[in-house]
Amino acid sequence: MRKLKITPILLAMSFAFGFGTEVSAQDFTGKQIIEKVYNRSVGEDQTSDLAMTLTNRNGDQRIRKIKQFTKDMGDVEKRIMFFLSPADVKNTSFMSWTYDSDKSDDQWIYLPALKKTKRISSDSKSDYFMGSDFTYDDLGDRKLEDDTHKLLREETIDGKECYVVESVSNDEDYMYSKTMVWVNKSNFIGVKKEFFDEDEDLLKILTIKEVKEISGIWVITNSEMKNVQKNHKTSITLKNVQINSGISASKFSERMMTRGL
Amino acid sequence: MKIKGLILLLLLAASQITIAQNADFSGFARSYTGVMYDTGDFSILQNTLNLDISKSGNKVAFKANPMLYSYNADSLDLRLRELYLDLYFKNFDLRIGQQQVIWGKADGVFITDVVSPLNLTEFLLPDFDEIRTGVLAAKFDYYIGNSTFEVIWLPKFTPTVMPAANSIWSFHRDFMAPPSFDWSKSAINPSLENSEVFVKYSALTSKIDFELMGGYTWDDNPTMHVDKQFDMSSGSPMLTGLNITPQHHRLYLGGGSFSTEIFGVVLRGEAAYYNGKHFQTQDPIAVDALIEKDYLHYLVGLDFSIKDVKFSTQFIQETILDYDEKMINDEIQNTMTFLARYDMFRETLHLDVFAYIGLSNEDALIRPKITYDFDDSFSILLGSNIFVGDEKGRFGQYKDNSMIYMKLKYNF
Repeated sequence: MRKLKITPILLAMSFAFGFGTEVSAQDFTGKQIIEKVYNRSVGEDQTSDLAMTLTNRNGDQRIRKIKQFTKDMGDVEKRIMFFLSPADVKNTSFMSWTYDSDKSDDQWIYLPALKKTKRISSDSKSDYFMGSDFTYDDLGDRKLEDDTHKLLREETIDGKECYVVESVSNDEDYMYSKTMVWVNKSNFIGVKKEFFDEDEDLLKILTIKEVKEISGIWVITNSEMKNVQKNHKTSITLKNVQINSGISASKFSERMMTRGL
Repeated sequence: MKIKGLILLLLLAASQITIAQNADFSGFARSYTGVMYDTGDFSILQNTLNLDISKSGNKVAFKANPMLYSYNADSLDLRLRELYLDLYFKNFDLRIGQQQVIWGKADGVFITDVVSPLNLTEFLLPDFDEIRTGVLAAKFDYYIGNSTFEVIWLPKFTPTVMPAANSIWSFHRDFMAPPSFDWSKSAINPSLENSEVFVKYSALTSKIDFELMGGYTWDDNPTMHVDKQFDMSSGSPMLTGLNITPQHHRLYLGGGSFSTEIFGVVLRGEAAYYNGKHFQTQDPIAVDALIEKDYLHYLVGLDFSIKDVKFSTQFIQETILDYDEKMINDEIQNTMTFLARYDMFRETLHLDVFAYIGLSNEDALIRPKITYDFDDSFSILLGSNIFVGDEKGRFGQYKDNSMIYMKLKYNF
């Protein structure tokens, strides 16, 4: 059976994009802009159907479908995902607990053929998720202090006035030499992000294609990551998004991982 | 064969019912061909259909998992891995029927994982999800927060499935005289008295996952009761034959396992203590050439990554306590396992090597393989099973069975 690489992902695709309150026109530093992006409201819990489409350079496509549940439980955010397709990963489930503190995430995977719940290491940020163009790090939560942020300029993109902020990791071993994000000035939601490799060459471009307001929360429902060096891409769409539906805390347990949907 | 036909009919009938009720169907079809290095003979020609039929609701669910194996195009083997009903309640679940139960944190090693016995007709070569047999059982799980208390009752004992005597995977045995086997006492009649019970307490926590278990069971492997036949005609006794009566014996065992993450490395451990296990001895005054000893089986393992390569390694020790020098088994047996895995081309090409390394006998089973996913359904696997080392070792005894093999698999 193919082994899954799993990541704590996709709470409305929280990677460096989000929603902040309306702000008056004023000068912000790069750090303040990113802080507003990170400090957005995502609701108490969320349910969604996720489809990930991997397209190679020949245009051939592979599709992965996932049902996911997340819940903010104060100092820990719990997440459980059930893999629906392709066939060889069907009924596989993944659970992660992400802490507000510096503690590493706890992650488990349930493999239905082996009937076993295994603890897996969270130390795999540069791995790609299910063969896609998104790494664990691209999809996970990143802390404000992990990078040094610098406002480069203001620019209009697709008719939206944006701040352009460069972020350089404080960790020399980080997989990207830098990232650049275009942040919509009107609502502090990311519009585009570029990732540069260790040689400072452009590696990937993330484009946000659709943002919807659901139950008062802005949710990115369609995005695309393109690897410009290898000419392949991955799109992620969210459907049937429910916010604050009152998911029980018992949903995030080994019992549910093994039972499935 | 009649029973298998009946099962097949029942499954077909069930499938009609489940189709009508929109049950989920999934599974795979697989072609598996192996050729031995030494002789060029086919070590295996196998086609498999695995059908997984399930239907889940909020309060009840069922699953049927028949597997049909065709060998050499002229023999069929239908195995019913699972056929059970789940009942869900607020704080507990009940599963009744044929089921596989997997315990412990070890990979490829069976220490506390003793509820479902093994099918060793192809040694340890089948995928680990196929090597266990289903058992008829009632399983009760009671949930308290993130911990679970589990009780399993097995009304009918199921032994390890051994390879046939003429199989290339039959176990190597040296006998001092010609043996004759009497299997009449090897069966355990299903009864309340002969049933097996297992209990387990397990928890997933932010710091550590652990399991504590105990069992009142039968030894899955039969004990060989040996009656030595002597010829006294020459004045001094001369061993002329062995009457061997395989019998299963009761066992008590307790143990546990854990896994935790330390600086990005997953540390795992597992141990089981067996009380009153029977071993063979050369002590002339021992009844049936047997001796009863306690036995400890444990493991420590690490899972980690270096760059993009995943590694996993385990050290396993089996120890006979209060050892008697006349025993045939070694007092201590040490084994290691090693796994390395690398995925390429957006996880369509997978390179793996897994090895059992017998430290005590200096033998090994090395299993390199390469898998390519043509698409999300179809994959091809090329691999090799290489047995090396001392021919008296667990792995070295199959030195002549080293093979190259190919698997074509279609998932649906």
